[in-house]
Amino acid sequence: VSAGKAVRRGTRRLGNPNGTTVPGIVTLAIDRGALAGLLAEIPRGAVLVTGSNGKGTTCRMLAQVMRAAGLHPVVSSEGANQCAGLATTMVARAALTGHLPPDSLAIGLFEVDEGSFPEVLRQVSQPKAVIVTNIFRDQLDRYLEPAYIKALLEQVMQTLPADTALILNADDPRVAFVAPEANNPRLYFGIEDPALCRGETDPTSDFPRCPRCDGELTYTCVYYAHLGHWACSKCGLARPQPQVRLTKADLTGAYSTRLLVATPTAETTLEIPLPGLYNAYNALAALAAASQCQLTERALPAIERTPTAFFRMEKARVAGHDVYLALAKNANGYTEVLRAVLGDRQPKKMLLGLGDYPGKQPDTSWIWDVDFASLTGLIPAPVVSGNRAADLAVRLKYAGWACSGEDSGLTIEPDPVRAFQTALARTPAAQPMWVVSTSVVLWEVRRWLAHHGYVQELWREQAGAGT
Amino acid sequence: MTGLRITVCCLYPDIMSTYGDRGNLETVLRRCEWRDIAVDVTELRLGDRLAPGAADLILIGGGGESQQQLVAPDLCKVKGEGIREAVARGAAALAVGGGYELFGRFCQPERGAELRGVGLFDAWTIRQNAVLSGHYDTISDAHVDRVVGELVVRWRDALLVGFENHGGGTYLGAAAHPLGQVVSGHGNNGDGTEGVILGSAVGTNLRGPCLPKNPALADFLIGAAVIRRHGAADLPPLADDLEEGARAAAMRRALEAAARTARAKRRLSAFARAGLSRGRHARTRAVRAALHVSARRRLAGSENRPSSAKARSGGSR
Repeated sequence: VSAGKAVRRGTRRLGNPNGTTVPGIVTLAIDRGALAGLLAEIPRGAVLVTGSNGKGTTCRMLAQVMRAAGLHPVVSSEGANQCAGLATTMVARAALTGHLPPDSLAIGLFEVDEGSFPEVLRQVSQPKAVIVTNIFRDQLDRYLEPAYIKALLEQVMQTLPADTALILNADDPRVAFVAPEANNPRLYFGIEDPALCRGETDPTSDFPRCPRCDGELTYTCVYYAHLGHWACSKCGLARPQPQVRLTKADLTGAYSTRLLVATPTAETTLEIPLPGLYNAYNALAALAAASQCQLTERALPAIERTPTAFFRMEKARVAGHDVYLALAKNANGYTEVLRAVLGDRQPKKMLLGLGDYPGKQPDTSWIWDVDFASLTGLIPAPVVSGNRAADLAVRLKYAGWACSGEDSGLTIEPDPVRAFQTALARTPAAQPMWVVSTSVVLWEVRRWLAHHGYVQELWREQAGAGT
Repeated sequence: MTGLRITVCCLYPDIMSTYGDRGNLETVLRRCEWRDIAVDVTELRLGDRLAPGAADLILIGGGGESQQQLVAPDLCKVKGEGIREAVARGAAALAVGGGYELFGRFCQPERGAELRGVGLFDAWTIRQNAVLSGHYDTISDAHVDRVVGELVVRWRDALLVGFENHGGGTYLGAAAHPLGQVVSGHGNNGDGTEGVILGSAVGTNLRGPCLPKNPALADFLIGAAVIRRHGAADLPPLADDLEEGARAAAMRRALEAAARTARAKRRLSAFARAGLSRGRHARTRAVRAALHVSARRRLAGSENRPSSAKARSGGSR
């Protein structure tokens, strides 16, 4: 652990963004049991958040509520959601003696990569609760299909202690009945506002089958993708009745959302500082967990002060424009981010990015599952960027966006920084601009922004907010 | 010609569409729209029959093993005859990935019983724990027996580009003709062939999806469908500037991937030589060096974020 701390200081000094994993790797290499030992020292146990989308935001919202309730959440740094990242978090918190400073109010709150869930669960032996946000197709070349993720989660959920609560999304048929044999207490959250229905299907759905009999699912109401009020046409299995419900939401704001949430004990109106239906789900998950952990209701409004994290509608002020950075790493993420920002149906200036790392995650076929068609005309003269910009341009052309010819205004600029400058120059004075992209383009834009002092460097931000 | 109209049959759009496969339909729809060819789309789900006279183009996409197991019995018993009959009468078809595997005689899943296929193509697919070359470095540890990477294929006088991600090896019988020859990547089973073609029916591992980046193949299928319906086809060329840009980028990527493989191979053989010639100490040093390289790789792969922003920036050029 001491070695890990030394490495951490070293990488920080060098300004290496890799600082979120390396100290953990070093620590685990020296002492395999270090992580489990440190985690066992947290007096109030740990809450784990897993799923395809929304883990980080749910964590930040829940941390906010926990703090308001007087607890001291131990939170893993953003995106560092595999074992090494978790070890780094714990090492940073530990004293040089290799132990955590005694703190009876400390509670663990960890975002866990859905693919690393079994590995992390071996370290966190007694989680207080496990939140599963949703299961979408994500990084097919890394984890194959959602069925594989679901099987992975189910396998480890059999091994959970009997009193670990499962906090599950009732609207996601893959999640609601995960591990049916496990007798753990289940708390469901879901949306019950008919005004938010998209009808009976959404083009971005990947049509999951019935979790019990593999039959075809029918929906009386779809909120987005495959999330909604579902029932099996063959065996009759249906969405469970959620205890934490969103009964009304106003999604027309590009910057914030007003929610009316009913928990078993209270009804609250909250204004969360993030747009879009997917963030409403994140808030529901966090509120459900707060209710499960019996945090005081007075703490719930703290969710309104959730800070935006890097790439989650992160805001910067550049040359008189508000610039928002939004990460979209899969078909549903991309669709929902665009729908969130364009919820008011007002055209907006955007840089759309698509990139991959050389030799890694080369499959970008999911852009064909993004619902660009319904957004035709709302993103005039977009700039597309990233090393897969050419693929994205073809996609937009076949979605029916004006792309070829002189009046199109579509610009392909693979270099993220040049693309950013082009897009900004084309944004009318004082108007906001959005960068929606997979991570590689965002990292480059953000590095440029940090270099010019528009945003803080990531590790500095975490050092300030964290330990 | 005016008043052209074709019918496209999409098989199991709700089940067999795992890798952006609806992009293939989208491409056919737009390229027809730009040429004033009307398109009727028929979606065929579990239990729906395929009327051979009413199908000008049949599309089936990819799917994982569970999806294959779900549709295989229906494909054989309910739709099989209609599909074979339609293709015999000149209908075009595009079967991709898991759909390609099921259009053959049989297909061996990783778990469970062998699946009987449509038998349209004289081909079969077995799981082979394929020995993979170095450039397939995107495979997670749990799935080392999959082929994942760029695929470039010579088809007639053109190159087809795409992406492959399959766990099976497909073998062609004596009666089958491969779609093309592998220029870069793995293809059917590593024997240099990729895909299969029978009349105007094409089976292939090319994804990405396949048609947007290969307008020549898209127009081949559309042309065949129009001929089937109207007896002749004269498709005016389209401006494929963006498509060509994406093709060029895909080819560059395939080249880079091939170069990475070559480098990895050279490094390995250098280690082996050092080990053979210089005795035990040199061998130990070589193994240490090799481990060092693989550890660095693992480090880089251990998180969803760049291990070092500098190393990654090369990709955007």
